[in-house]
Amino acid sequence: MTLLSVKDLHVSFRTEAGLVEAVRGVSFSLGRERLGIVGESGSGKTITGRSVLRLIRPPGRISAAEMTFDGIDLMGASEKQMRALRGQRIAMVMQDPKYSLNPVMKIGAQLTEGLRLRDRVGAAEARAKAIAALEAVQIRDPERVMEAYPHELSGGMGQRVMIAMMLIPNPDLLIADEPTSALDVTVQAEVLSILDNLVRSRGMGLIFISHDLRLVARFCDRVLVMFKGRVVEELEARHLMQARHPYTQGLLNCLPRIGGPRAPLPGLDRSADWARG
Amino acid sequence: MALIEIENLSVTYHVGGRSIRAVEDVSLSVAARESYGLVGESGSGKSTILRAICGLAPVSGGRIRIAGAPVKTPRGKAFSRHVQMVFQDPYGSLHPRHTIDRTLAEPLAIHGIGDTDARVVRALDDVGLPPAFRFRYPHQLSGGQRQRVAIARALMLEPEILLLDEPTSALDASVQAETLNLLNRLRAEHGLTFLMVSHDLAVIDHMCDRVLVMQHGRAVEELSRAALAGAQMTTDYARTLFEASADRMLEV
Repeated sequence: MTLLSVKDLHVSFRTEAGLVEAVRGVSFSLGRERLGIVGESGSGKTITGRSVLRLIRPPGRISAAEMTFDGIDLMGASEKQMRALRGQRIAMVMQDPKYSLNPVMKIGAQLTEGLRLRDRVGAAEARAKAIAALEAVQIRDPERVMEAYPHELSGGMGQRVMIAMMLIPNPDLLIADEPTSALDVTVQAEVLSILDNLVRSRGMGLIFISHDLRLVARFCDRVLVMFKGRVVEELEARHLMQARHPYTQGLLNCLPRIGGPRAPLPGLDRSADWARG
Repeated sequence: MALIEIENLSVTYHVGGRSIRAVEDVSLSVAARESYGLVGESGSGKSTILRAICGLAPVSGGRIRIAGAPVKTPRGKAFSRHVQMVFQDPYGSLHPRHTIDRTLAEPLAIHGIGDTDARVVRALDDVGLPPAFRFRYPHQLSGGQRQRVAIARALMLEPEILLLDEPTSALDASVQAETLNLLNRLRAEHGLTFLMVSHDLAVIDHMCDRVLVMQHGRAVEELSRAALAGAQMTTDYARTLFEASADRMLEV
């Protein structure tokens, strides 16, 4: 069943230097599965993710032939309808917990804020739910974390708190924008397996945005490869090594490998036909 | 004889009455023209070792010798001629209001080296940047171009040793490949010795002959390139790091 369907999405920004087209005709659909969007900086992957929640500020403009989520027309929805969707049904985990958590609010207060204000849940119940959410992301000492400020947590803990916060309303779709790129490799592996378990056990749809092709390949079912605002290739993650498009191949080949040859790493040929326009 | 010798180095920061041991009792030695890697996660003390060599961290114990001679405190001009550092973030390491020309010419002026014009042009050419970049400002360059400028700046005084602190972790994969290739070419052409820090084991493996795995400020295990490729690590932590390394993910 299709949860999210996006057809011919365009996002442009009117700047002093002229019109910048960040996303140029992206189409994809998503069921209750894990979709990866990969690309280098400036490829439009983050903007694509934010567009789904209509989180693009002016002068940015979104247009699409179709953008529906569970039968709701996201392009035609009012701001009020969008607010009801954001967080509740579609949640987004941002890249860096250092900038996305409120630095002057205790974790507990941040986790329960939505429950208390939006769902009118009582203090004790909200607290219990928040602690359960922290336990779900395998935080060992949730009572202490509830009383901590963001700066008292490590990057891995901060990222887990963010995931816990997004999971409290039990959304149908989770958009994770580089959720692990600020983390160390061993912590990254932990956070990914937590995310993986949650997506599986709750049957959520997941859009996983990353610059790391290898990570996406291991973690997702399907991968969209973006370059300059366009999807250049869509493929099953397990068939990634058989990628056809020269950009995808280039991205795979330019990464050093343990035990690989010492020869210069192959660069990306940006002068080829596919890279123009 | 080893070019860089570090014996039982400890670095202790004093913050608000507490002491934090960033590096504890680490020893390593790097031969001339060797490329040596330090790998570990955040807080493992790997960057602190580079900073300690440059005199940017409070050394609380141990010895640092460059080419057999103990380093002086403060490090002084002679040290800068031998040892230079390239930092992680090319956005933060270049003066935002100096042109590339001024950034590259400054070390020459400080050391009273003439022939500035030709040297700056040659340095840009060396790192593969067009001569027109000379009069641009850092904000007019991309991340990869800025890191090339930072590398050119480090090479202005023709040092023998380059300390590389995560030189590619802020860059895109394809730009990382170009930068690593550039560093390898410069090492061969100039006969440089590298001491390189990275959290990415695959990058270290590509660049270095030997690697020291660090955790919580201590040395865990030293591995040769062959031992790393053959997964012949003896400590659990080095193995964990190896298993979690991103490039392993495609094998599964």
